[in-house]
Parts: sequence; C-alpha cells; structure tokens
Amino acid sequence: MLLENMSMAFSAIRVNKMRSFLTMLGIIIGIGSVISIVSIGDTMRSLFADLYKDVGVTQGFLAIGYWVDDVRQSDYFTLDELERVKEVFGDQIAYIDSNMSTSAEAITKEVTVNFDFSGIDYNYIDVQPVEMVYGRYLNEGDILARKNNVVMDVDSARLLFGEENAVGRTFRTTLFGNVNEFTVVGIYKKEVSAFQKLMMGGQSDRGTAFVPYTLLTWPNDYFYYLHVYAREDVDLNAFFDQLIAYVANYKGREPEDMRMQTAMEEMNSVDTMMGGLSAAVGGIAAISLLVGGIGIMNIMLVSVTERTREIGIRKSLGAKTRDILIQFLTESAILSACGGIIGITIGVGLVSIIGAAFGIAVVIKPGVVILAVSFSAVVGIFFGLYPASKAAKADPIDALRYE
Amino acid sequence: MAEELIRLKDLVKIYDTGALKVLGLKRINMTINRGEFVAIMGKSGSGKSTLMNILGCLDRPSMGHYYLDGIDVASMTSDELSEIRNRKIGFVFQSFNLISRTSALKNVELPMTYAKVGKKARRDRALKLLDRVGLLARCEHMPNEMSGGQRQRVAIARALANEPPLILADEPTGNLDTAASEEIMRLFSELHKEGATVVVVTHEENIAEFTDRIIRFQDGQIISDRRKGDGE
Repeated sequence: MLLENMSMAFSAIRVNKMRSFLTMLGIIIGIGSVISIVSIGDTMRSLFADLYKDVGVTQGFLAIGYWVDDVRQSDYFTLDELERVKEVFGDQIAYIDSNMSTSAEAITKEVTVNFDFSGIDYNYIDVQPVEMVYGRYLNEGDILARKNNVVMDVDSARLLFGEENAVGRTFRTTLFGNVNEFTVVGIYKKEVSAFQKLMMGGQSDRGTAFVPYTLLTWPNDYFYYLHVYAREDVDLNAFFDQLIAYVANYKGREPEDMRMQTAMEEMNSVDTMMGGLSAAVGGIAAISLLVGGIGIMNIMLVSVTERTREIGIRKSLGAKTRDILIQFLTESAILSACGGIIGITIGVGLVSIIGAAFGIAVVIKPGVVILAVSFSAVVGIFFGLYPASKAAKADPIDALRYE
Repeated sequence: MAEELIRLKDLVKIYDTGALKVLGLKRINMTINRGEFVAIMGKSGSGKSTLMNILGCLDRPSMGHYYLDGIDVASMTSDELSEIRNRKIGFVFQSFNLISRTSALKNVELPMTYAKVGKKARRDRALKLLDRVGLLARCEHMPNEMSGGQRQRVAIARALANEPPLILADEPTGNLDTAASEEIMRLFSELHKEGATVVVVTHEENIAEFTDRIIRFQDGQIISDRRKGDGE
C-alpha cells in the first residue's frame, strides 16, 4: 500500500510538472541555502583551525596584566629569568623566547628596504617548521654569542639582494641606535595557503628576517613577554596555570595579576564567533524552509479542491479516511523530499564550486545534510496535514457532485 | 423463497437545511432479492437519488433500517460504510466517474487496491474484467481517449472488481447516445443473467424496459412496484 501510494503520488506530481517544481522551489532554496551557509561556516572554522595549527596552538604569551597599576621594574623579564623558566619547565616547554621584534631599514650598496626583525632562539624551527633552501638556520652559537647573523625568506632575499641565494651577503641596519653589519646565513621557504595569504595580507614591499633573540633584548635585557610553546603532549591549561603560578610567585605577584594570552583561547573565541554567526545566518535561511512549507500547503489545498471529484470517486469505491489522508500526505512529503534532495545537490554543489574556486577543502558535515532532509520531510508532512485532512473528511456525495 | 439482498424497513430521510426540514424519503419499505434486475424510476425531486445514495451507502438514513446482505448499515461509521461500499456494492455513475489521467486498467484495479488484493491478483482480475466488457485491447488507454460507451464499460468492469453482491447504476445511460445506451443495458442484462443483482436508477422508460421490475417514486414515496409479467 505504501508503494501504491508513492506511485500514485508520483503520477500526480508528474501530471503538473511545472506546478510541482514551483512548489518545490521554496524547499529547494531553503535547503540549498541552509546547507551552503552552514557548510561555508564550517569550512571557515576549519580554515581558521588550520591557520592556528600553523601559528601554533600550544603557544602562549605571559606578561604582567594591563590592569595592574603599580608596574615595577621586576615585573619585566630578563634573559636570566627566561633561562630559569626553561630549566624549571624543561619537560613541558618546547620553545621559549622573549617575543622581541623590531622594524628597521636594511641597507645595502644598492637598496634600502624596510625590514621586520624577529628575535628567535635556534630551535624556533622545531615549532615553526620552514624549509631551508640555502645555507643554514640560526644555531646555538649564534644565539649565545649574539652574532649578527640573519635567516630570511626567499622573497625578502630577492627584495634586498635581487637574488634568492643571498647566503654570505651582508647589509647594514641600525638596532637600538647602533649601526651593525649583518650577514645572511640562510634562506628559507615557507608554503602558505591561498587563504593564509589572504588573511595575512601580502607585504611585498617589506622584508622579514630572523635574528638571535639575544640581540634584540641586548643591551638593557628587560622585556615584556615570555613567549612559550608547550610540548604537544602537555595539558595546556594545567601547564599555563603552573607557569603563571611560578612566575607570579617569584615576582611577588598574585596569579591574578598575570596575563596569559593563549592561541587556544583565541582560536576558541574565533571558533565560537564563527559558529554563532553561521548558526544565526543558517537560522534565517531556515525561515525560507518555513515559507517553502507554506507554499506546499497552499498548492496541496488547491490540489485537494481540484481533485474533490477524484476524492469522491475513491471514497465511493471504498477508500477510507485514512487512505485519502495517506495519499495526500505522501504527495506532499514526496514534494518536499524531492525539493530537499534537489536543494542538497544545489547546496553541496555551490559550496564545492566556491571551494574549488578558492582552492579550499570544503567541510560538509553529514549531520547538516541529515538535519536538512529530515526538516524538509517534517515540513512536507506538517504542512501537508491540513490539506490532507481536509481531503479525507470530504463527504462522498458532495465530492461526487463537485464539478 | 428467494434470498433477500436489500431490505428497507420504515426508512426515513430528512434533509435539515437549517431553516426548514425536508422529508426526502417517507417511511420506505422495500425488499430486493438476490439476482433481481430492478429499475427505480421517478422524476427529479421524487427521492430516487436520495434512495440511490442510501442504497449505495453513501448516505445514512435519518430513521429506520437498511439491511444490506443481512447487515444493518443504518448506524455505521463512515469508514465502516467505505468498507461496505468496497465489498458489497459496485457503482456505475451517469458521468462514469473514472479517475482521469489514469489508465483503464488502473481504474479497474482501484477497488481491489482498497480491498488490499495483491498486485498480481489485482492485475489478472482487472484484465479479465476488461476482457469481459470487450476492452482488453484498450486497457492502457486513459479515460479521455475513450468514447462514452467505452468509459461506461470500464466503469462497469470496475464495479465488478470485488465481486459485489449489488451493482448500483445511477442513470448509467444519461450521457450516452441510443446505441451506446442499448449496449450498456444489454451488458447489465447479461450480468443479471449470470446471477448479479442489478439496480438501475433512471427516469427513462425505455431504459427501465430492460429490467424485470420497476419501482416508481414520487414525493419520497413508492407509488408503484411492478414486475414484468404482472400485466399493466
């Protein structure tokens, strides 16, 4: 009987092809937009998650809280303290530096280019992997001896020296009032996705380079942030709490006076914001599903009126209330299910096309698709209920007399 | 003694139009036996359509009893009446009432679908019935592709689908030309000879002539009930 009803419904839908399509259109648009919007949201979230993974999810910055009024000299960090922290938390810290960076002009005989210099330790490559294409990375000797050696990326090398292999070349720059000559010891390359480039902005007229962090904290030795990367296997929250407690304790502060910014926290807040955003927009799109459902109800009502005589005939031949009810319900459910399927195809297709255009791996959660389909089926049944019950209640004599 | 198929006992039908109550049928007592071929005649407004609706279990009497095949259907629910119509009555209507855009075969299968007959059995029987009314070759045709006479024969095949004890025809020739009308009435005669009980509601004398018994109605009452051979 179910198959019977389905085939009856399909033939009724086929008879009015254009009308059936227009009826489905509301559902098609609704489902299509819900799926594409939620999927675009999910894709953005996964892109941001990737971005943070690249930046380093285990990293954090520790400093005295900006809300502390009486900041003392001792609230700043020194290289000795950094060494102490490195020793105490050695089994939990993957990397630590002073988070110092500076901008200065790099000058060769030919050109002057604005450069951003970041102070790093020799093992920064472990937490921020890059591919060395020429020369070497900064080594422990560079750091300890505060050598004027730099490592830069291929684009910066091309900018400053006009060639990628700039190992051994030198330039002058003024750091903290002292003119120094720097030697390039290595050139690296880093793959970035189209999305990352988009997010970071292309600074093609500026160069970037790594210098020993001991250079940038020299000579006054005080710095504001402790920049740490925890090891991958460490419980981040516990570790950061311990670190805060330790540092606060020897600086004579309360843990509440310290400020810890973590990538994790930032990532979560971005993720929450994006999730909320896509849920809100998806919710608005879901309203169009409701409108689509009303469209189905409208057409089913018209269909019931048009087919009053058919209903009368069926009843005279022995159709019970239930038979008629199921017949019309099946029809509206099939209408909205077909609309749902077409909507899914369009939504998934749209998201895939957008993804392909931007070279992004799209995220389409099966849960969203299942939810959308069940919602459209519910819409079909719910909005089909009233017309179907109207049809089922028809009096056979009146229905047979209907012209 | 012939077996009773229909017995009406003090049957009354009142139409309540709100402002006034109209007596459609006034205490009808009537019996039709199994295997009879009966015409119910009367002008419009005589109550014959009301009687037809009640005999067809499309409507319920206001008072009195209607025994169909021994069952009192006067107080049944609408779904129970659907069941009765499905099993006990085969309808033939003036305007054919085939379902449009649906093949002759599917139309004939429909009562069996509601009787939950299996797909294969349904199809076999529908084909046999279409063959019986001489339309086997047209079984896949839609109603709008057929002449009135053909449509009415499909309707008769459909009426026979569940082998109902009663064939109820409401002005079956009303929309047909003379030739087609005779054809249809001969088909009813044949069915009657094969043992079916056929009740035809009509206002045409020449149609009524095909039957064995004519019950005349006027103002909601039976005014005459004559069998062939009784003499006028």
